[in-house]
Amino acid sequence: MNFDLGPDQRDAAAGARDFYRGSASPSAARAALEGGDVAPGRKALADIGFLGITVPESAGGAGGSLLDLAVVAEQGGAVLAGPSLATAARAAVLLAEAPDLAARLADGSAAFAVLDGPVTGSSPSMDAAGATLFLGLDDGALVLGEGGATPGRPLDATRGLASVRLTSRRVLADDAAQLWARAQQVATVVLAAEDLGAADAAVRMAVGYAQQREAFGRRIGSYQAVKHMLVDAWVGVDQLRSLVWWAAWAADAAPDELPLAASAAKALAAEVLERAAETCIQVHGGIGFTWEHDAHLYWRRAKVDRLLLGDAAEHLDAVARLAVAGALG
Amino acid sequence: MDFDDTPEEAEYRAGVRRALEQHAAELLHVSAGEEAVDAATAEAELRRTQRVLYETGLVGVTWPREHGGQGGTLVQQAIVQQELARARVPTLINHIGLGMCGPTVIAHGSDDQRQRYLTRLLRADDVWCQLFSEPASGSDLAALRTTAVRDGDDWVVNGQKVWTTLAHVADRGILLTRTDPGKPKHAGLTMFVVDMHAPGVTVRPLRQMIGSAGFNEVFFDDVRIPDGERLGEPGEGWRVALTTLMNERVAIGGAGSDLGIPVEALVAHARQRLPQLDHDRQVLARQALGRAVVASLATRYTGYRRFSELGRGGVPGAEASAGKLAGTAAAKLVADAGVRLLGDDAVYAATAEGDETWQRSQGFLPGLAIAGGTDQVLRNILGERVLGLPPEPRADKTAPFSGGAR
Repeated sequence: MNFDLGPDQRDAAAGARDFYRGSASPSAARAALEGGDVAPGRKALADIGFLGITVPESAGGAGGSLLDLAVVAEQGGAVLAGPSLATAARAAVLLAEAPDLAARLADGSAAFAVLDGPVTGSSPSMDAAGATLFLGLDDGALVLGEGGATPGRPLDATRGLASVRLTSRRVLADDAAQLWARAQQVATVVLAAEDLGAADAAVRMAVGYAQQREAFGRRIGSYQAVKHMLVDAWVGVDQLRSLVWWAAWAADAAPDELPLAASAAKALAAEVLERAAETCIQVHGGIGFTWEHDAHLYWRRAKVDRLLLGDAAEHLDAVARLAVAGALG
Repeated sequence: MDFDDTPEEAEYRAGVRRALEQHAAELLHVSAGEEAVDAATAEAELRRTQRVLYETGLVGVTWPREHGGQGGTLVQQAIVQQELARARVPTLINHIGLGMCGPTVIAHGSDDQRQRYLTRLLRADDVWCQLFSEPASGSDLAALRTTAVRDGDDWVVNGQKVWTTLAHVADRGILLTRTDPGKPKHAGLTMFVVDMHAPGVTVRPLRQMIGSAGFNEVFFDDVRIPDGERLGEPGEGWRVALTTLMNERVAIGGAGSDLGIPVEALVAHARQRLPQLDHDRQVLARQALGRAVVASLATRYTGYRRFSELGRGGVPGAEASAGKLAGTAAAKLVADAGVRLLGDDAVYAATAEGDETWQRSQGFLPGLAIAGGTDQVLRNILGERVLGLPPEPRADKTAPFSGGAR
């Protein structure tokens, strides 16, 4: 058994960490709330090749596995980067039979978003704000079109959420329900990977503060009430990493395991990131709920991500149904 | 990344499997769903089973060859454990001796003690127990009060131990005592090997909340131990005990094994019971089931990560404490979902048909959150050794134990 990243994936993660740290940050996420651009933005992500990690080489991508993408996505999550690689991964699955379009996804010459809900008036969909081409499921068919995006007032501006009404559409594939489901599962895994990175960063921030801040004559991390809260948040992150890796691995190596693994990862991600972000605020005390501090940006990510691509209750239900149907063997 | 054995591991596993099949007739087996075999009622079969396994080379896998072991790796040890479970061979009767007492004798015993004890331990000629916890010292082990006083060539021991697994069948034990109450609590301790059949040793089974007795109380009344049975120097008992406790973490840390009832059994139970619930209750039951499955898989796959680290030659660290902490929480979710699926029978100690699987597991788990490191102590370990958070200030580390700083 070797349930660990390979050397290439470790190198890719290290490279992605450097890239994301240099091009995105919680400060940028705060600025985006005040009308600034989402960082690093589509162009930068296309230029470094992250939008095409799972696009086949024949279509100009890297032909990588979902695990290759997930380890990069985790690094993006750590600094609250946008747009989400979940959108790119989902579009790459949907465009598997359309190499010309997949090439435009990978090189950034078209800005894709994938619509949740009816294409005549979608649910709030990730990265739809600023997208130029939309993929949707219309009466069982995969459609591509242009449309008008209506964003609400953002809770987390880095997610680019907007409702979309298609103004044009053409069918890319009939009977696309299965393809659509796989694309959604793949996106769910990548979202969980970004949540993993965000949760890890929030716990580190809180631990760092608890190691220095003093109250009642000693560092607050020495109090068990604080220490145990941080440990529980850290254990959650450690466990989430295992499910994210398993689900990402399964997407390519054991597709039968993907539906349950993806739902398990997403259900846990919702809870782990929420707990990490809330713990981060609580441990920081008064400074933790100011606009200037970074803690609320992780909290915003948690409060939004937990509801995207299915909330924990939906995914727990899916896990239960799949398990009862025999998915655990 | 993969979940398969390496070629070397697969070959080793095949060898283990062959050996277990070849000797099947000589080994004790348990039926599916049966959790543990009572050491007292099946003592002879359990001792024989370990002896056969020893002669087959499957006991003491990680022990050095010079002490009767196989000189193998932790991964090989885990493979043996997986294959024993698969073949439904019950836990070895001497698991405390193999996991904790033996390694302590290897590390701190004299050549004479190693000679006399280790092979007999491996063959289950002697069953061993670990006499550490006391009524007034559980998590705070170094606060123990059992005394050993030098008298000529002997030491005379008085006091009480508790939570002693296997004491009722044990031949030997490692015994942590206070030999110098004038020193601070950690500095006044000394470790011995004690003969459990010696005059003055009284063992009483301790009935747990669930009704059965898996542990014991052990009373020492003027028990004489020759000085040659000391493990380590007088006053060095804490250092010796740390060897034992570190080995305990290796033993319990697990490599993806479930604490409590395996989640697959819960799923099978749900498959049967869910259709009997009305629609609204099915929705709620699936939430509980999903939660239990997610928690179990997260713990299992985290165990696989730790197992992979061992395969690369890693040493089990404080992270292993997270496995027990999360595994206990997952086991509680599994047991709770299992009980609730019983419908009306959930308020009884067994179903109308007499099945007590889920109720027993539910009643066993409060103890699991305490035994072998309480949830709270595990969080302290993780907070201080993994996250690097400062320890709490302590008043009991420097003052003499007899001065009341306990």
